[in-house]
Amino acid sequence: MPPAPLSLSQIEARFKSRIWRGNAWGASDDPVISSGFQELDKELPGGGWPTRNLMELLLSAEGLGEIRLLSRALGEITRSERNILLVAPPYIPYMHAWEHQGIDSHRVVLVRACKPAERLWALEQGIRSAAFGAIIGWLPEASQQATRKLQILSRTAAGLVFLFRPARAQFESSAAPLRILLNPVRGHSHTLSLYLLKRRGAPFVLPVRIPPPQAAIFSRPAELKPVLAPLTN
Amino acid sequence: MLWIALYFPALSLDWIERRFPKMLIPAIAVTVRKRNQTSIQQANKPAQERGVMAGQPLASALAVFPDLVIMEQDPHEERKALQQAVYAALRFTPNIAMQNNGLIAEVSGSLKLFGGLKKLCQSLNRAVTAQGLQFSAGIAPTATGAGLLARSAQPGTVINGKGEEFRILLDALPVNLLESAQLHLDVIRGIGCKTLADLRRLPRGGIARRFDPDLPAELDRAYGDSPDPQKWFEAPEDFQQKMKMMGLVENTALLLVPARRMVEQMCGWLASRHAAVSAFSFILHHEHSLRQPHKFTPVNIRLSEQGSDPAHLMLLLRARLERTKIVAPVCELELTADEIAAGADSNLELFPTVQSEATSLNRFIEKLSSRLGPEAITGLKVVSDHRPECSQRLELSAMGGLNRFSKREAKAQIIQPESPRPAWLMETPLELKVQRGQPIYGSPLKLLAGPERIEAGWWDDAAVARDYFIAENDQGQLLWIYRERNPVEKDKGNKGGNWYLQGLFG
Repeated sequence: MPPAPLSLSQIEARFKSRIWRGNAWGASDDPVISSGFQELDKELPGGGWPTRNLMELLLSAEGLGEIRLLSRALGEITRSERNILLVAPPYIPYMHAWEHQGIDSHRVVLVRACKPAERLWALEQGIRSAAFGAIIGWLPEASQQATRKLQILSRTAAGLVFLFRPARAQFESSAAPLRILLNPVRGHSHTLSLYLLKRRGAPFVLPVRIPPPQAAIFSRPAELKPVLAPLTN
Repeated sequence: MLWIALYFPALSLDWIERRFPKMLIPAIAVTVRKRNQTSIQQANKPAQERGVMAGQPLASALAVFPDLVIMEQDPHEERKALQQAVYAALRFTPNIAMQNNGLIAEVSGSLKLFGGLKKLCQSLNRAVTAQGLQFSAGIAPTATGAGLLARSAQPGTVINGKGEEFRILLDALPVNLLESAQLHLDVIRGIGCKTLADLRRLPRGGIARRFDPDLPAELDRAYGDSPDPQKWFEAPEDFQQKMKMMGLVENTALLLVPARRMVEQMCGWLASRHAAVSAFSFILHHEHSLRQPHKFTPVNIRLSEQGSDPAHLMLLLRARLERTKIVAPVCELELTADEIAAGADSNLELFPTVQSEATSLNRFIEKLSSRLGPEAITGLKVVSDHRPECSQRLELSAMGGLNRFSKREAKAQIIQPESPRPAWLMETPLELKVQRGQPIYGSPLKLLAGPERIEAGWWDDAAVARDYFIAENDQGQLLWIYRERNPVEKDKGNKGGNWYLQGLFG
């Protein structure tokens, strides 16, 4: 007699890690590191930045607050005595500011490479190495094969793997399981809105808002003396 | 005791063949001179296909195939090739003895580390094959027995005589393998002795008297009935190997195979001395001629942390070789271990710890700096200075420069300014265009905060006097801009200097 067919709930229970329902979050065994922003953690599958996955952050220009978005997770990583690798950042990181955001500057390793092939290579080596708790790369032009390769490598990575790409890349397909588009919010200076373009689980349409940092400093109208242009909101 | 014997039947050919790239091996024959007649001692496969055979007089071989490459047998070179095989095998056991055309290794102490006899055999096989030598192997509880089994095996095969069947295997071996029987082979065959078992059935005294007193003794050693002391190979104090190329090489890719062989020899040598290398040099010797002045090109490699793993060393060497420009054809390679340090690689760890992460960070730095150059990978050291361009130093992180200074000292260096600092700095401040008195970057900038005055550096030659503002453009970028102040000209009614963009709030 053939064994009785499994019921749906049995199948789900047995292949828990491999099946997820389309309307729910994908549950995965990958450990996560909290992003430090409750609003964001709520929307990320697993409740934080997932390790062992390639994460793509798309932004139209630097200076929107992208490091601030990562800073709490990065600070957590350096506090647990792990290193951070930056591959080909567009500008020089200003370590005093990074320290103010709680990131230990001695744990930051900087790789400067101009050629796209070298950047990709350095990134791959960083992912392969066990030395880093976070690997952040800037790849303005990354082919689909490159992201696929990075995602496969990331499955064995020891830490978080972030890839910064220009906003126009949102229309290209990518192998990264998590893709987030970063946008500034008009009228609210330095508030970031995050569109989760892709995540494991149900798509999320509404943007997540990340409040501005050091709110006290930016909103101290008494001390702000408009020098040339009047402050308008 | 467990012995692995390797027998190299074609040593006199192998040391020549391995100097050629694999695709370009010509028909080669090795000749030997005997009583005024030169005859072929060994011919390689391409030569055999043309009809050249061992034992042929040289003249007839040349008549068969005129383009034959002829080399005279060179016992010195053969010995050197054998020694290199010993170096490669030293990685697996320190107890190795060299013999004629072979080596024997005592491996009972290495079985556990390398995961059992089968795995050890495979690794040893791979290591010696990588040296470009053909061999057959025998495994036995006695050294002489293992040697006999290896000689009887077909090239490329292993006879495993471990355990019960060892004596049965030995019994079936032909008499002509015995060294002390070589002079008396005709007589021994004449009396009907074909195998070792036949010979052992004869009375000992008679054999010793009629043939050679050593003959029964050799049999005893082979069967394990009498002790069999060996003279171990002793690794020299320092490592320096040279390898001649058969042709002139102008392509680094062709250097990699011999380079790998030499690196593996070095690692074997290191293992036998319980050491690891912290600096080594690979020297490309060029053919000496009047037209080109370069005698050699050295490639010096310094490791941030001592290592003895051939794959890792080879990776570094390969990355460096790819960046090295070969100025003239290379005729000889040389590898020297310049600095060695006691202690091999660290123990294997089940889970990554801080210590092993530091090791892998060093490895990562080495790997990147050997391919991209040492200046490509840096850390940033904070310096207590309010001028942004002076407030941090790129620190070359090769040689473990990272994490060198104490945390407390570093914390003291961080400035605590009144207003926030941007996460990104421009390499050099970018001068901004001004439109109707308003600086522009992408769009006219809206000033959000400021000014914050930074006036510093009067004590060195890089004095700055600037008013910093935080500004925003239409794209939502938050910028750190400044206007130059000239205190001297201020009174002349000058409204202010140029605007510059120095950083972005990432």
